[in-house]
Amino acid sequence: MSDVAGPSTPSRKRSRWDIDEQNDLVEQLPQPPKRRSKTKSAKTSPTPEQAQPSTRLLAEAQRTAILHKRPPHSIFVPPRTLHPPLMPSRSVYSYERLNSIEEGSYGVVFRARDKETGDIVALKKLKLDEEKNGFPITALREINSLMVCKHENVVGIREVVVGDTLTQVFIVMDFIEHDLKTLLTTMPAPFLQSEIKTLMLQLLSAVAHCHERWILHRDLKTSNLLMNNRGTIKVADFGLARRYGDPVGVGGLTQLVVTLWYRAPELLLGNTKYSTAVDMWSVGCIFAELMLKEPLFQAKSEMELLFMVFKLLGPPTLHSWPEYQTLPLAKSITLPPPQPPQLQQKFQYITAAGIDLMSRLLTYDPEMRISAVDALKHPYFSESPLPKHPDLFSSFPSAAAGEKRRKPYESPPAPVRAADYKVLTDFDP
Amino acid sequence: MSTSLYPLASFTQIEKTPSREDGLPDYLEEDLRAYGCKLIHEAGILLKQNQVAVATAQILFQRFWFVTSMKQFGIGDIGMGALYLASKLEECPIRIRDLINVYDLLLQRKAHIRAQCMASNPTSPSSAPSIHTISEFKYTPMSYFGNTFYDLKDAIVVAEMQILKRLGFNLTVVLPYNTLVNYLRVLGLTNREDVCSTAWGYLNDALQTPVYALYSVPTIVCSAIFLTTRRMGIALPAAPENCWWELFDAEWEDLWSVCGWIMRLYRERPLEDRMRVMGLVAKKGIRQWLEEYHPASGEAL
Repeated sequence: MSDVAGPSTPSRKRSRWDIDEQNDLVEQLPQPPKRRSKTKSAKTSPTPEQAQPSTRLLAEAQRTAILHKRPPHSIFVPPRTLHPPLMPSRSVYSYERLNSIEEGSYGVVFRARDKETGDIVALKKLKLDEEKNGFPITALREINSLMVCKHENVVGIREVVVGDTLTQVFIVMDFIEHDLKTLLTTMPAPFLQSEIKTLMLQLLSAVAHCHERWILHRDLKTSNLLMNNRGTIKVADFGLARRYGDPVGVGGLTQLVVTLWYRAPELLLGNTKYSTAVDMWSVGCIFAELMLKEPLFQAKSEMELLFMVFKLLGPPTLHSWPEYQTLPLAKSITLPPPQPPQLQQKFQYITAAGIDLMSRLLTYDPEMRISAVDALKHPYFSESPLPKHPDLFSSFPSAAAGEKRRKPYESPPAPVRAADYKVLTDFDP
Repeated sequence: MSTSLYPLASFTQIEKTPSREDGLPDYLEEDLRAYGCKLIHEAGILLKQNQVAVATAQILFQRFWFVTSMKQFGIGDIGMGALYLASKLEECPIRIRDLINVYDLLLQRKAHIRAQCMASNPTSPSSAPSIHTISEFKYTPMSYFGNTFYDLKDAIVVAEMQILKRLGFNLTVVLPYNTLVNYLRVLGLTNREDVCSTAWGYLNDALQTPVYALYSVPTIVCSAIFLTTRRMGIALPAAPENCWWELFDAEWEDLWSVCGWIMRLYRERPLEDRMRVMGLVAKKGIRQWLEEYHPASGEAL
């Protein structure tokens, strides 16, 4: 691994690109290999522009100076200087390990401190031990999705670092204090409507951003939504995420995705050509969970879940889901007798607009289910009470950072009885 | 439309690549890069792999040599690793055994051709052998559970991991094809099928050069259109005040340099040059070459 020593100080190298653009422009002018001029003139006809390179260069500099008034680049063509350089992974020893946050099937998450900057980060160690086919495609998808989906409401990936052997790979992410699931179970009072609106807007804009970049998350649930103490949620855990295409599902996608309680009906019925709508169903379940302070469909099996869905929304009809009968598993299910949806009864305290948004998210037909972009424009978010500014959210002690809730008030301790006191002191040497 | 910032080599990385630092001359590095990409391309065709995966592999391969010397890793191994990795990235994974067999076939065939050329013309290898002297190539498949297979498999896994690690797991690759379609549309050239396919071909050939690790996609696409329109004699505004490529934010110097890289691929090469790269697919060959031609740097091993 001695070869790593070479490129391990790339920060200095990179700084060459950081100097102002004018200088750079001259610097980055291509340095054609010496022999090239010969072959080039032989193969391509010389151009008038090619004559007198030195004067041309000068003219170029003058011209760029003049043209500086108009924006030098279209927003779709960022200047060369904005592209990151090729940078090898740093070592995990750039971080100091603090405590472990959680352990899942995918690996372990640690809290750590960047030794250089002192920043607190989350290190997710990938499990690579028994890999027969090289680097797992799921881990690649996760890293790529995080890099592609950078957004205010998506957990930020900082870098990927490596340990001593080739089996130690860690994703370095911003450390976020809470996850929404723990928060919902431990917070004393449920979120206010204004707070739910803020959280939903944040969630929807993150999902819209991912979908725009052709990424399906495929595991949206409250435990994968992190929240900091400044009222901002971040979508995390892209372990099941993958790119989708147009047309969707070329070659078929696995339907074994999304944690059961948040799984869309088309997945339950074995559809392998699903798309962004599966994430939107999960968003609907999260929306309901924020209202109820507990998960909406707490089913133990797929069949139980389907019947819970049928009970809440009424069984699917030819009108509400025309393609229902064509789904692989539809034949094996006997639908319960028709019955109207019971959303209104289940959520008595939200407005008609709120119920409307929820029923659009929990729509059977994936084609008809609302998209993240459209949901962001839903009237629910513009009616009173308006979304609360994130800064006005209260903060909570972070379980992940090892903090504990302070007792509401510290009452003085009850007087200790003399006898007990004696018992305690008797053990003292 | 999203603008993703894919990594490009930095000025210092371009100025002195790790291979040149190790004493490998630039012309040889250039040939080996091109040859490695040709192998990826041929393997991709034999594997019936999608062009997006092949192009991605070639771009990763080119990036890799800005952070690693060819003395450390062979172009064959890294090519296999890049194709294996890119196939996963583009959601069309390939079987590792298929990849190994295809590369084994390609390399055996090249070795056969090289041996034939050397044998037929040991004194002046620059003159091409006549077709009659070349004996027919017979592929000997490796044994199913043989060591060759497991060694190559390990080499691929290591190469894949090294590519990931040395590129910092930033595998953002933007392919030029949709940009080409858009630009041709803007220039009103989409009705000329020959123009479209020629420009498309230049983009694919450019994958054998380092330009995708050096310049942004719009510049490369402009170069492909520039070469095409020059070749076909199509006039586009090119007066100093309003050059068509400025519409797409390409700088003349960059565009011209990319054209140079591409055109250099087509020059006539002596047989000797073509045979030389075939013997340098593995890092062992590179090390031998360095010892032979640069005894000083050979000692540093």
